[in-house]
Amino acid sequence: MAKGVLVDIPKCIGCESCSVACKLWNELEWDEQEKNKTAVDRAKEPNNGLWPEEWTSINRFDLEKDGESVARYVKTQCMHCEDPACVSSCFSKAFQKLPEGPVIYDQSLCVGCRYCMMACPFDILRYEWKKAIPGVRKCQMCATRVANNQETACTSVCPTGAITFGDREELLAEAKKRIKEHGYVDRVFGEKEAGGTSWLYISDTPFEQMRFRTDVTTKPLPSYTEGYMKATPFVGVGWAAILAGLYVYNNKGKEPLD
Amino acid sequence: MELVTTVLSKAGAKKSTVKWKFKMTPMRWVFAGIAAAAIAVILVRFVLGLGATTNLNDQWPWGLWISFDVLLGVALAGGGYGTALIVYVLRRDKFYPIARSAMLTSLLGYIVVVLGLLIEVGQWFNFWRPYVSWGHASVLFEVFWCISCYTVIQILEFCEVGTEKVFKGAHKYLKKAMPVMLIIGITLPTLHQSSLGQLFYLMVGKVNPLWWTAFLPVFFLLSSFFVGAGMIVIESTLAGKALNHKVEVPVLRGLVKISAGAMILYLMLKITDMVVRGTFANAFAFDLPGIMFLCELFFGVIIPIIIAFSSLSSTRKGLIWFGILTVSGVVMNRFDVLFTGMGKYLNQHGGSYVPALSEFVVSLGLVSIACLAYLFIAENFNILGHHGSEHADDTEIKAGKYASTAK
Amino acid sequence: MASKAVKNLSRRSFLKFVGGTAGLVGISLNLTGCGDPATADEAIGGNGWMPTQYNAPGNWPTNVRGRVPIDPANPAIVRDDQKCILCGQCIEVCERIQSVFGNYELPIKKDFVCVNCGQCIQWCPSGAISERDDINKVFKALADPNVTVVVQTAPATRIGLGEEFGMPVGTNVQGKQVAALRKLGFDVVFDTNFTADLTIMEEGTELVKRVTGELHHPIPQMTSCCPGWVKFVEYFYPELIPNLSSAKSPQQMEGALIKTYFAEKKEVDPKKIFSVSIMPCTAKKFECQRPEMNSASKELNDSNVSPDVDVVLTTRELARMIKRAGIDFASLPEEEYDKLMGTGTGAGVIFGTTGGVMEAAVRSAYFLITGQQPPAALWNLTPVRGMQGVKEAAVNIPGVGDVKVAVISGLANARKVMDQMKAGNAPWAFMEIMACPGGCEYGGGQPRASSPPSDEDRNRRAASLYNIDAKAKLRNSHDNPEIKQIYADFLTAPMSEKAEELLHTHYVSRADDFIPKKSEDKKIF
Repeated sequence: MAKGVLVDIPKCIGCESCSVACKLWNELEWDEQEKNKTAVDRAKEPNNGLWPEEWTSINRFDLEKDGESVARYVKTQCMHCEDPACVSSCFSKAFQKLPEGPVIYDQSLCVGCRYCMMACPFDILRYEWKKAIPGVRKCQMCATRVANNQETACTSVCPTGAITFGDREELLAEAKKRIKEHGYVDRVFGEKEAGGTSWLYISDTPFEQMRFRTDVTTKPLPSYTEGYMKATPFVGVGWAAILAGLYVYNNKGKEPLD
Repeated sequence: MELVTTVLSKAGAKKSTVKWKFKMTPMRWVFAGIAAAAIAVILVRFVLGLGATTNLNDQWPWGLWISFDVLLGVALAGGGYGTALIVYVLRRDKFYPIARSAMLTSLLGYIVVVLGLLIEVGQWFNFWRPYVSWGHASVLFEVFWCISCYTVIQILEFCEVGTEKVFKGAHKYLKKAMPVMLIIGITLPTLHQSSLGQLFYLMVGKVNPLWWTAFLPVFFLLSSFFVGAGMIVIESTLAGKALNHKVEVPVLRGLVKISAGAMILYLMLKITDMVVRGTFANAFAFDLPGIMFLCELFFGVIIPIIIAFSSLSSTRKGLIWFGILTVSGVVMNRFDVLFTGMGKYLNQHGGSYVPALSEFVVSLGLVSIACLAYLFIAENFNILGHHGSEHADDTEIKAGKYASTAK
Repeated sequence: MASKAVKNLSRRSFLKFVGGTAGLVGISLNLTGCGDPATADEAIGGNGWMPTQYNAPGNWPTNVRGRVPIDPANPAIVRDDQKCILCGQCIEVCERIQSVFGNYELPIKKDFVCVNCGQCIQWCPSGAISERDDINKVFKALADPNVTVVVQTAPATRIGLGEEFGMPVGTNVQGKQVAALRKLGFDVVFDTNFTADLTIMEEGTELVKRVTGELHHPIPQMTSCCPGWVKFVEYFYPELIPNLSSAKSPQQMEGALIKTYFAEKKEVDPKKIFSVSIMPCTAKKFECQRPEMNSASKELNDSNVSPDVDVVLTTRELARMIKRAGIDFASLPEEEYDKLMGTGTGAGVIFGTTGGVMEAAVRSAYFLITGQQPPAALWNLTPVRGMQGVKEAAVNIPGVGDVKVAVISGLANARKVMDQMKAGNAPWAFMEIMACPGGCEYGGGQPRASSPPSDEDRNRRAASLYNIDAKAKLRNSHDNPEIKQIYADFLTAPMSEKAEELLHTHYVSRADDFIPKKSEDKKIF
């Protein structure tokens, strides 16, 4: 059964245990500049806190709710879409969606065209511009842990249960239950967005105010170019046949050109 | 300058000598200079990476090199397949005189595109992966296969010309295979020119509706076709000046009219698309995208149509303006799809991208290399003056010349 | 003929070409295994480690998860994530021993609850969590010839500082600390023990007034010298704020007096005084920047006078300063504090351990009520000594009877007692509460041991303090000659108008900063 993660935004206290766990599990490097950024800084910058060595970012948004100032912490990382645009866009199959849910990246197959970065509906992918041999970097949803029936590093360390790992369908049901119970915004972000994602978000403050791409299409992105690619062989062969016919017809009885 | 190469048999006896010539003019020195600078930047790019030689970033993973070298480069090099279609498949022999030069431009354009791509991608050494690891859902997969195969086809087609001068033994086999190569050589570009447009269709919601449409492949294909005539006019004018050779006006005019016909179809489809998707308001919003879009159509399509079907196209000046405007229109279009079309989305959280000087150097350097190669080939092979020209090279064995000499 | 040959060639060879190549490609592709789906181990990353407790199947429970949140704007505590090993000790101490973490409902409002006690610092095995380093501010002031840098040292630092230089736990380095401070360039070295004694005078007087009914504030009176404890009350028991003594902490009293009393007596411009304190405590860094802690400026009606205490340095920071300056601490001579606010009694020095404030207060309360010197038993009030979380004692004061007192250290212990108080069960007249288990001697700013905080080390440090008290010539706060002098020359009497201005404060409710926990046993995870 496909796995997923439920992010209950109001439950996050911004301790960033998940961030540290991700660094530890994936042996990501520490960068002084990144260490000095706060959750407020990361929420504002173009990269949204995600960098080649920062696969997840906790971003703080200071909002108004019921006339009060509140802070909400949003964990950002790859959404592990059900039908990912990056997988579809990669012409060398460097990205693949595993049956358990994680969307993984194999740098040995990557040519480095960065089409995946243009395609990603959540603008998650980061590139190692500074390296001579660069790869694409993003959360891998701890694929080996998940394959071994463990939960992801980040969900395992969350002290408040703001992020919980489990079966996607079950988490979706739980999400809807919590929305009713706590009066959250009536939307599970990730249920239908981009055709559905493994990471689901619920919130008591509007998603638009927390840098979520709320107007993203609900059609899986690969479906936009699927038909085109399926038609290509037929178009190619058909057109070649027409051309061959035209060639023969027009060259009948004529001297061939040089 | 002149260079003579001699092919010796195993026993040491001369088999043939060939004279190469290449005149260095100030313009060619400029090209050479830019090319040299580009090569330097390219070396730095491979040692230090893309971050050191471009301003590309995570908001703008595609920039000048993709839009100029790939999108634009492939479009402008599309004169080749259009010519092949008109001249060799439809046998409109009137246009025979420009066939070889158009196909040479196309070949050099594609070689430079492929070189540019190898520089542009992050892990160039993995370029062969998509041949065996099939990401066949990707539009880029089709682009990759078609461009690489088409470049090979074009090289083979050129070898048919080249073997008039060197390695003459291979000539008759190549000539026999020509029809096959020609047909493949029209099919493949049809597929990849349109696919270059379809690439952007996957970027749902990121591209301005003025450019994002299911018609993207059709628009890219048609524009790559009709820009061929514009390119042929410009390149034959420039090459003509450089190599003292003129293409007849009626030939060019005929091409221009065919091109304009395609433009009319393009315009009709554009308007249909705008009606169906309701984007008229966007076009006349008088913001940057709207204005760029209208400029593309007005200067790049409508005015050239007018020129083509009026008496203006019977003059060299009119033809040159057709060329300049058409090519400019396509340049604008390819840049618009990426920069103008996606700028608002990609910059919404403070992102920005302005190409670095080094990026310009490489892009212009690749063009310079292509121009230098064109000039060299045109001076040494039977490209121009196809109808018994005064520039057929002297390939007779010159007595007394054994070794290579450079003058 | 030419055209036929061309025609045959084009159709046949074309189809042959396509068919043959495609077949060849297909076979070779299958051989190269290009059709195989990817496996999880092809992904990048995933070769690191996690603490073993997290490497369990999906939803197995673990004893501890994650770590405490630390606000980047926390004035006292910072964390270096690169050093964090997710051991969870910070959460253990904050949740179970301090009962701060988790004692609120989610969502948080604007900021999470933190009392800045710094116990997380003491429990962090990798040193990821530490105090905010303010050393450079002090070095800058020391380098400025126009500024008079005045420093005060807390009772507990003199029995902790030596540990940073390899001395046994609890070694009394009072004299060397003074010498080191002078060598670093501090212009005036005062002792917080002085204002510890002063606090006893003010707070003792306040207690008597509450008991007699002269002051209409509730009993029991709770000490307010621990800023972590004060903040805890402000968060969780704002309704008990009236029970808090209005007296400031010794640090803040001394800060206010430095810029008024000292400035006046020694004719120094208060605007040019930079007031530093060396504390065993991280919450003091929070306390010194509380908006109301600028009594000197208010009293002098001069907004250019900076807050009463400009910078608080922890014991560890002082040790770093000494090391950075290349001072050989162990070979320093014993030096004396400067006069005016440099004398402290044995009662003052025992402030540094749990029960010390109570014992000091009892000695002087006896005197204030009866006019007699306290009996010897009050010089060794064993019921309030030791590391037990909640201690009670009954002190017999002639004319009043048995006065019940309570001594608490560790906020979870305090919480239990506060809940008891709210339920109406509070038989004591006076309560001493310290946020840190064991009191200031193992505060957030004290040297870290190589093993987790233990009562063994706490007892060693406490013993050292009681030893200083035992050997002291003066053991009662009210006997301190400098105390008598300041009342004679400057303050007139305890709780006089001037004393109220400079030495007393008020508190704010922080209850609206969070949603209170609904039920006792509902965990937040």
